Amino acid sequence: MFYFDHSATTPLNPEVMELMNQTQKDFYGNPSSVHSAGRKAKSIVEKSRFKIATAINASPEQIFFTSGGTESNNQVLWSMLKKPNPHVISNTIEHPAVIKVLKHLKPLGLDYSLVSVDNNGLVNLDELDECIIPKTQLVSIMMSNNEIGTIQPIKSIVKLIRGKNILMHTDAVQCLGKVLIDVKELDVDFLSLSAHKFYGPKGIGVLYVKNKKTIESLLIGGSQESGLRGGTENVASIAGAGLAAEICCKKLKENSKKLKMFQTYFIDELKSCFPDFKLNSKSEKTLPGLSNISFPGFRSDILLAKLDRLNIAVSSGSACGSGSPKPSKVLSEIGVEDSLNLSSLRISFGSTNTIQEVEFLVKSLSQILNN
Amino acid sequence: MEQVAVGLSGGVDSAVAASIMIEKGYDVEAIFMKNWEEDSEYCTVEQDYKDALQICDKLNIPLRSVNFAKEYWEKVFQYFLDEYKSGRTPNPDIMCNTEIKFKEFLNYAIDLGAEKIATGHYVRSEHSKNHFQLLKGKDINKDQSYFLHSLNQNQLSKSIFPLGEMNKSQVREYAKNKGFHNFNKKDSVGICFIGQRNFKSFLKKYLPAKSGHIVTDSGKLIGEHEGLMFHTIGQRRGLNIGGIDSKNSKPWYVIDKNINSNELIVGQGNDHPLLYKKYITINDIHWINGEQPQMNNLKAKVRYRANDYSCKIINKDSSGITVKFDEKQFAIANGQSIVFYKDENCLGGAVIDSSF
Repeated sequence: MFYFDHSATTPLNPEVMELMNQTQKDFYGNPSSVHSAGRKAKSIVEKSRFKIATAINASPEQIFFTSGGTESNNQVLWSMLKKPNPHVISNTIEHPAVIKVLKHLKPLGLDYSLVSVDNNGLVNLDELDECIIPKTQLVSIMMSNNEIGTIQPIKSIVKLIRGKNILMHTDAVQCLGKVLIDVKELDVDFLSLSAHKFYGPKGIGVLYVKNKKTIESLLIGGSQESGLRGGTENVASIAGAGLAAEICCKKLKENSKKLKMFQTYFIDELKSCFPDFKLNSKSEKTLPGLSNISFPGFRSDILLAKLDRLNIAVSSGSACGSGSPKPSKVLSEIGVEDSLNLSSLRISFGSTNTIQEVEFLVKSLSQILNN
Repeated sequence: MEQVAVGLSGGVDSAVAASIMIEKGYDVEAIFMKNWEEDSEYCTVEQDYKDALQICDKLNIPLRSVNFAKEYWEKVFQYFLDEYKSGRTPNPDIMCNTEIKFKEFLNYAIDLGAEKIATGHYVRSEHSKNHFQLLKGKDINKDQSYFLHSLNQNQLSKSIFPLGEMNKSQVREYAKNKGFHNFNKKDSVGICFIGQRNFKSFLKKYLPAKSGHIVTDSGKLIGEHEGLMFHTIGQRRGLNIGGIDSKNSKPWYVIDKNINSNELIVGQGNDHPLLYKKYITINDIHWINGEQPQMNNLKAKVRYRANDYSCKIINKDSSGITVKFDEKQFAIANGQSIVFYKDENCLGGAVIDSSF
């Protein structure tokens, strides 16, 4: 398998898998139990919490485990319903785990505004400023977009809203291990992570909460996670998430350099074999290793199938859904016309790729495009 | 190895078709088509896709998916509505084969690099006398040639029908032996985009219903209808006019629709003379061989699963074509298709314009 779809998900790090297997086998206790089996399990959860906190410069008590990025985002947005007459500001290229939730919450009493983005996917700050009204409670802007990789100016957004009694949430699931996440420096109130995007297991996520008083629980039940997330902890996955975060942050510089190198090589080679391609995001600040490219005259679903036959995995638009060729909403929002939109591929390199694999990708694409 | 794309629906027929193609040594890929955009309890597309995926996993072949909802809406659904609007009874399945499955889908498969497509239809095809012939499926209860009569030589030359020699029970048996989880999955019936829902309320969503009089063939007003489009010729149920003449309690049948006066014309008994017509006029006729075959003993059916009856094409001029049956035919609905046969051979067909 030649896997270039790391923004969809990443392969599990073997060390992480080993730890998870061992945890499943040896530490089956319920972390809420007071006996030694329970205490052992609990200490694994807490060890992992510490590792996650360290990875993003938070304190362990600010880290809450969830089932993934979607749940983390939902928890923040649903929490706003508890406030009187809430208003939330987001933007037009957020993931459905934010936009669809907002639409869903509207009839329940949550008002929202979506700020537009420029041709590179950057949130229009003036527009965001204008959207702020007295009842605005939250701004939710993703740290980096999953389709085009644009990194949003979170610090500038936080500056805009500070002193106005508005909370800041950022969905950072694409970012850990690729760009530095420092919650103190970003000064956000909430931040979402998902372990399977950084070589950890699927089904486990993190919500960073600066101040516990600002959030409500979404899943009601036991008093796990300081009473903010009911349900017996997914101990093995939590262990895996912690180790995965530790590893990817330790190798942050090395990996992001590697991903940038793959990307530069790939784009450069593509120029010589298919010069007509169009890069769909030219933002200066972007996720390393993610390219969204249109191939004029080709349909992305046909390209995907032809690459798939060569055992090459890339994606078009977003990986969610069963793969019907509809124009990507994100690309439409940044002004990519429909014909180019339907001919776009997202190629996202990962730290387990090799330069030989990237060479094979270029060679294969060249064959498909020039035949 | 010849590359073939199988249209996989999630049902048992296309699953078996795919499996047979693999056994025959073709390089097989599957394509799942989504032709209707709707999230409702009636739409089974999500489950169908999951079923298709499980079959592909079992057969170890890739599954692609493609969305023709826009094309389907424009070319099949609009035709469906237009026909109902003008008081006719359309056959969207035939249109779907012509415009979607053997056009859009076929072209898509070829774009993907396939040389041919295979489908789970119960028909056979043969290449003889320099032509591709379409033959009825061996399982005469399942024969689907009626729905495929509008295929042309090019489409037939690129299509394979692996189930043509099998009957349904054999197909299910095969699927069971292969361990296909869907071996017992219910056949889809009726119009695919309507599914199990109420036809009346579905149609009302898209077309304004205009109520009017129900009159007998002698002009006597005996009731009200909710809209002509809800009725078709030969229909017996759902008229709500039973028991008017308790002595003569033969059931009422729809025998005609008058679009101009918005009247539904009914008569009593399934032997009512106005329910039986010998002549049918048609407009564009399609011959699978490209031209009208020279033969005398032509037969035709006027609806799916009807028997074939002897007929002749008696008149052909600029105003249209007239077909004369030897025996009178029951309840001919304008908008349905007349399909011509010579024995097992499906020759072509046309849409019925009128009958008398």
